[in-house]
Amino acid sequence: MKLIIVGAGEVGFHIAHRLSQENKEVVVVDKNPEALRRLMEFSDVQTLEGSGSDPRILQAAGIHEAQTFLAVTDADETNLIASFYANILAPRIKKLARIRNEAYTHFQPGLLEKHLNLDKIINPDEELVHTIERLIAVPDAEDVRELAEGRIQLVAVRLHAGSPLKGKSLIDLGRMADGLPYIIGAVFRNETLIVPTGKDVLRAGDLLYVVSDKDHMNKVLAFFGCREKSPENIFIIGGGDIGLRLARRLENRALHVRMLEKDRARCDRLSEVLHRTIVLHGDGTDQTILMEENIAHMDLVVSLTGDEETNILCSLLAQRLGARRLITRISKFAYMPIAQAIGLGRVVNPRLSAINSILQYVRRGKILSAVSLRGEEAEVLEAEAMDHSPIVGRPLKDVGFPKGALVLAVVRGEKPSIATGHTVILPGDRVVVLCARKAVPQVEKRLSVPVRRP
Amino acid sequence: MMPWGFVWRAVGALLWCVGGTMILPLGFSLAYGDGAHGSIAKSMGVAAAAGAVLFLPSRKGGSSLIGHREGILIVALGWIGAAVLGALPFYLAGTFSTFTDAFFESMSGFTTTGASVLTDIEKVPRGLLLWRGLTHWLGGMGIIVLSLAILPFLGVGGMQLYKAEVPSPVPDKLRPRIKDTASVLWKVYLLFTVAETALLMTGGMDLFDALCHTFATLATGGFSTRNASVGHYQSAYVDGVIVLFMLVAGINFSLHYQWLTGKPLALWRDPECRFFLFATAVFIVLCAGSLYGTVFHTVAGAFRYAAFQVVSILTTTGFATADYETWPPLTQVILFLCMFLGGSAGSTGGGIKCLRIILLIKHGYRELMRLVHPHAVSQVKLGGRVVPAEVLHSVWGFFILYVALFVVFSLLMAAMGLDMVTAFSSVAATIGNIGPGFGAVGPAENYAGLPLLAKWLLSLSMLLGRLEIYTVIVLLIPEFWRP
Repeated sequence: MKLIIVGAGEVGFHIAHRLSQENKEVVVVDKNPEALRRLMEFSDVQTLEGSGSDPRILQAAGIHEAQTFLAVTDADETNLIASFYANILAPRIKKLARIRNEAYTHFQPGLLEKHLNLDKIINPDEELVHTIERLIAVPDAEDVRELAEGRIQLVAVRLHAGSPLKGKSLIDLGRMADGLPYIIGAVFRNETLIVPTGKDVLRAGDLLYVVSDKDHMNKVLAFFGCREKSPENIFIIGGGDIGLRLARRLENRALHVRMLEKDRARCDRLSEVLHRTIVLHGDGTDQTILMEENIAHMDLVVSLTGDEETNILCSLLAQRLGARRLITRISKFAYMPIAQAIGLGRVVNPRLSAINSILQYVRRGKILSAVSLRGEEAEVLEAEAMDHSPIVGRPLKDVGFPKGALVLAVVRGEKPSIATGHTVILPGDRVVVLCARKAVPQVEKRLSVPVRRP
Repeated sequence: MMPWGFVWRAVGALLWCVGGTMILPLGFSLAYGDGAHGSIAKSMGVAAAAGAVLFLPSRKGGSSLIGHREGILIVALGWIGAAVLGALPFYLAGTFSTFTDAFFESMSGFTTTGASVLTDIEKVPRGLLLWRGLTHWLGGMGIIVLSLAILPFLGVGGMQLYKAEVPSPVPDKLRPRIKDTASVLWKVYLLFTVAETALLMTGGMDLFDALCHTFATLATGGFSTRNASVGHYQSAYVDGVIVLFMLVAGINFSLHYQWLTGKPLALWRDPECRFFLFATAVFIVLCAGSLYGTVFHTVAGAFRYAAFQVVSILTTTGFATADYETWPPLTQVILFLCMFLGGSAGSTGGGIKCLRIILLIKHGYRELMRLVHPHAVSQVKLGGRVVPAEVLHSVWGFFILYVALFVVFSLLMAAMGLDMVTAFSSVAATIGNIGPGFGAVGPAENYAGLPLLAKWLLSLSMLLGRLEIYTVIVLLIPEFWRP
């Protein structure tokens, strides 16, 4: 399978690297030779120097023999023109474009998709707002993912030192849970992945990926020591495009939102378009204003300015002033590990959100969807069970899945159910499997869906 | 520290690859019943054992993500290992009395130099002669490129390995994946091999001779199966076919891939290829002019021998159809200069390479322009594209190292008591991967009479030339080994 990626910025770079690791033929086009050189040293891809909006370059990149085209530069206009020419040169191939400006996407919904033949428009801001919303819905979660159109949820919860579940094995846990449908898909202990078995014992500080269906999730989370109540008072620092988008969504859900913005003119504009949100003028790194607004009693503080250093400072300051729940926006990948180290557990990254949704879309084939957890250490795949697949027709405990892989859930028709050792998969079921990265090829083989090999 | 696990694993796998190719000479040896099959089979056994010793214990150790340093190390160690392995069949069969000679011959084969220490080639068992040709063929396109095409696990850090072996300041990537690039190059190479073998057989050679000469031509090696080299055949047709394919081998294989896949003008559009063909034509005309009336008395004869010898030396092949040491001084000097020029970047030829010479000339001219217009903004361009400054720097660095090594090695050769012509030409002919030089190492003589130490020195010189200096010499810098 051949893909053409326009743009070797952070989004293009990571997508190219991930796809080349999956043995796909990747050609990356960018104007910046330095970025291309860096990519070439790091990954097994072909690079082409030039503008992605230049049809000659697209032709030279071999767009005729490609199956997928991704326009992911930081500039909307370049992506649009690149998609425009891609559509003329190769109308049939799958096309995705990263477009941020609402003026382009919201003028008439679906207009661009139709005229440029785009399969999907990825808006990093929108993806980020989605990510934040999912995190808000589950206040104690460090990560929330959805599969099977949201019927199955994966929620990452940290086990605190005071938790009654500490020191218990998964078998004990199963007894205590008293029939709640859940499964622990993965445990991250000191950032290393453990695909758990019944005998594994939980320790304080473990990050558990808990899987359940949407209806039971709240009860399951309560069992794991998470508050059921979702936050009501939310404090947003930074009134940029993303902040505004988020505030609007939260307003619709009748939550109490306060928003702090440094720029006076922007504040005027914000107060004009927002109705129930309290717009405050001031700097997020200013301790007085945070105390004045009683930040310690906020359910959630979200730092969303365009500057990641500021966001980190704001979050640390808010934490020091007593705020218990924080979400911090960081765009630079290099800062992500530092953020974990200084105690900012919940970090959102617009580029990472965009990368995840692009990858999820690119991979779509017989694998219905895939999400990667914690920097690619593990993947959750969703696939349809084939007639001849070796996993079909036997209780799961007899199937003999490869090491590092775990069946999490089965969706039959519309009905999701959490997998146990007695679950029997039938042909046509959608199976959700977690696998450590090393086990991915074997799992794909079991599912008989060799889509990753071209 | 270095992830030695992966380095050893890769080198072990390389040795397996090289050992595996010995199946071909083994087959010929058995078919001809020349008695060399024992030594070849034993060498294969050694290859399997050595490969296993390196490969198996480090199977799980080390990460598979490799950087520049590991890439360089794998390539350099792989080549040295291949040369040692390649020497075994000769040594075990008793073709040479010393391991030095066997190693020299093998290194000369893999680096496509074609400098021989065999005094009577025609007496050597045919299986071994085929192996001698095959070392050329493997080394021509590159043993690393071959393994990239067939060993999947090398793919991860493939670009580092590829860059360290492919003789070009700016290696091309023809396909998105390095594995596909490598296999495309080998397919093109294989295609030309089949074509030339067929054409030579049409001219009356048997399969064995045709195959050996094809291996030596396309790799720009120069090992013949005859004592008188290609001159043995006294056939204008054979000369013509070999000249044509030497030229083919002296051109960037990326361009061959392009014209073979439907871009017929690719060769002409490439500035380096134009320069290479133009230089060849000019040198042929000059040589022919100088030969006509002095050595040859027909225009056709002068052109035939001039063309063969110029192309043979310029592409760094080193075949001979005449003893050019008896030719007029002008032709000798031209041939000596051709040794430095060499083929195109990305070809199987050696030398400094046309691309670098073009860039050096252009850069020199730019400096002159700046004297006239101190404020002019001018960049070195090639084929309408700006050449990045770091490429120019690396070309200058290469040129300086090339000349410096030539000087130092010549001095060392002279210190071993060799005369000036021999000292200079033997180093020029080995670092440029040509083969025959002048004086005691001329086309009518060979390297057998040199002192033992000189053979080792020239073996190193050949390896430096083939891996384009940087890959080998960087290993001698202490900084390279610092964690």
